[in-house]
Amino acid sequence: MANVKLTDVKKIYDKNVVAVHDFNLEIKDKEFVVFVGPSGCGKSTTLRMIAGLEDISEGTVEIDGEVVNDLQPKDRDIAMVFQNYALYPHMTVYDNIAFSLRLKKVPEDEVYEKVTNAANVLGITEYLMRKPRALSGGQRQRVAIGRAMVRNAKVFLMDEPLSNLDAKLRNQMRAEIILLRQKLDTTFVYVTHDQTEAMTLGDRIVIMQNGYIEQVGTPMEVFEMPTNLFVAEFIGAPKMNTFKTKLIEEGGKYYVTPFGSKIEVNGIKGDMLRERNVKSQNIILGVRPEHISLAENGGEDTIPCTLEVNEMMGSELHLHVVTEDGSHLIVRTPTVDLDADARRELVYGKKLNITFEGKVMHFFGEEDNRNLLV
Amino acid sequence: MSTLSSTERTAKRHMGINTSRRISNTAAYTVLILISIIWLVPFVFIVLQSFRVESTWQVGYVIPQKWGLDNYANLFKTDFPRWYLNTFIAAVATAVLQTVIVLCMSYTLSRFRFKMRKPLMRFMLILGMFPGMLTMIILYRVLKDLGMTQANAVPGLILVYIASSGMGYYVSKGFFDTIPKSLDEAARVDGATRFQVLKKIILPLSKPIVIYTILTAFMGPWGDFVFARYISFGTSSGMNVAVGLYNWLNRDQIANNYTMFCAGGVLVAVPVTLLFMCLQRYYVEGVTGGAVKG
Repeated sequence: MANVKLTDVKKIYDKNVVAVHDFNLEIKDKEFVVFVGPSGCGKSTTLRMIAGLEDISEGTVEIDGEVVNDLQPKDRDIAMVFQNYALYPHMTVYDNIAFSLRLKKVPEDEVYEKVTNAANVLGITEYLMRKPRALSGGQRQRVAIGRAMVRNAKVFLMDEPLSNLDAKLRNQMRAEIILLRQKLDTTFVYVTHDQTEAMTLGDRIVIMQNGYIEQVGTPMEVFEMPTNLFVAEFIGAPKMNTFKTKLIEEGGKYYVTPFGSKIEVNGIKGDMLRERNVKSQNIILGVRPEHISLAENGGEDTIPCTLEVNEMMGSELHLHVVTEDGSHLIVRTPTVDLDADARRELVYGKKLNITFEGKVMHFFGEEDNRNLLV
Repeated sequence: MSTLSSTERTAKRHMGINTSRRISNTAAYTVLILISIIWLVPFVFIVLQSFRVESTWQVGYVIPQKWGLDNYANLFKTDFPRWYLNTFIAAVATAVLQTVIVLCMSYTLSRFRFKMRKPLMRFMLILGMFPGMLTMIILYRVLKDLGMTQANAVPGLILVYIASSGMGYYVSKGFFDTIPKSLDEAARVDGATRFQVLKKIILPLSKPIVIYTILTAFMGPWGDFVFARYISFGTSSGMNVAVGLYNWLNRDQIANNYTMFCAGGVLVAVPVTLLFMCLQRYYVEGVTGGAVKG
């Protein structure tokens, strides 16, 4: 129930290793913000600086308008869930959840009420008298969340809470976190390296790399308008196809010429290029696998290629194809679009023609890898 | 052989294993029993002597001819209770203070990161290589000026015993290092101070090492001779048991006090033995625990 504001926050370790560079972000009250990025990008460090577990080398962190740089974690009114759960092994589940309340000298009957409530919400009532070691990974994570829940803290921090769980449990817990968020209705900061978690959970996503923020935006914004090549490739699975090509302006129309084809940039992207008066130049073109379609016949706007791998995902096919010059692309096709015969033909070595429309293209500068339209 | 069925063959092979195991066990136990006997002889000897009443002098046989508790009763007519009390006070005080210091030191070195932490640890390692005896003369001067020698030796001794206890952090720091740091962090986020983290999280998880620390801290003063003799400096009321009892073995006293000395020795062993019997499980875990609790 508070906003969090980070201003020019920096983390410099000994020997001048900079883990986080000038981090600026305002997290609004009751917002769910996800920090996402590859390992070592500084996302956990930033979270730990908010928590007070890591010193802030430069800049300020404010919680609810108060600068907390010099406050101990216990005085910041935050709750945190750790990747390895960090349950106290010598205490029962009940005592684990009650720990923070007892430190605050909350009367024992109130403790009982809060702990049993949290346990009910999380479905761990029957394990309350067990020690953590007698619980499975998913149950442990619930206890860890329960421990954070009863705090009723201003800010809820989660440091890769699902990465120690198996895939099925992770999906289930992800849905539960969304529900939990609606129940708690407080400010969340969530760290993950998994773009699916980031996309499904976050109101806003902060994509980080090497200690820098690459982009901040809603899941839709970062998906549809990535500011640079890194974000474009990081968000979305399978990742976006990118390849070097030319952008040509001819008589008020734009064309791209990947792999010897010539495809007009139509729709909104063409309008945007015209609006910004973009010149002809070498670019890196990005097209998401789901935006590439199989063309019936070869034409100027199609790219001939050869099928290498056909991954059957159930509702869709992931086709790994190679162009004539040896570039690898991935095409995602809904299974329902193909009849049984066509599906049977999609085997190694099959010649295909692929194409895509202008409105789904992403254009990145060849030098700076920045999106030309941002 | 070829007519043996497979079950018979298995049975025979098992018998072979059992027989060879029995032989090696017998050999091992024989050796161990021999060693224990050799090791126990002095103790049994002292206990037997302490119950002998026919003579206070050394005799040429082991089993007493006349049994009784006279030697124990006589102890209480001497300064022995005073020595015992002195030793007990010094040992308990040292056990408490040293344990507190060692555990705080270990926690600090395990969990806090500060400038000069590594150099400090290295410095203490090197400092610890000098024998404590080197400081005896200057310690005596200092304690004498503070009025903590001779009759007042007990507080002086406690000071000496705990003075360097911070340097004995190795074992417990090693143990603390194996406890995940995220537990500390979780507790601190949950609202605990550093001290509460130590008290409520780290110490309960380190029971063996806490008990190990208490035991070693108790044992040192309980059996100390050199410092205790030096600082009490011949004043009977400031002596501990080791020094007091040793004086009975002087050429001019041994004839009357030999069996009483044995009785005193038995009484000295009682609390330590009891402590060990109660806590030995933890003691062994403490010595080996840091290594295996990964």
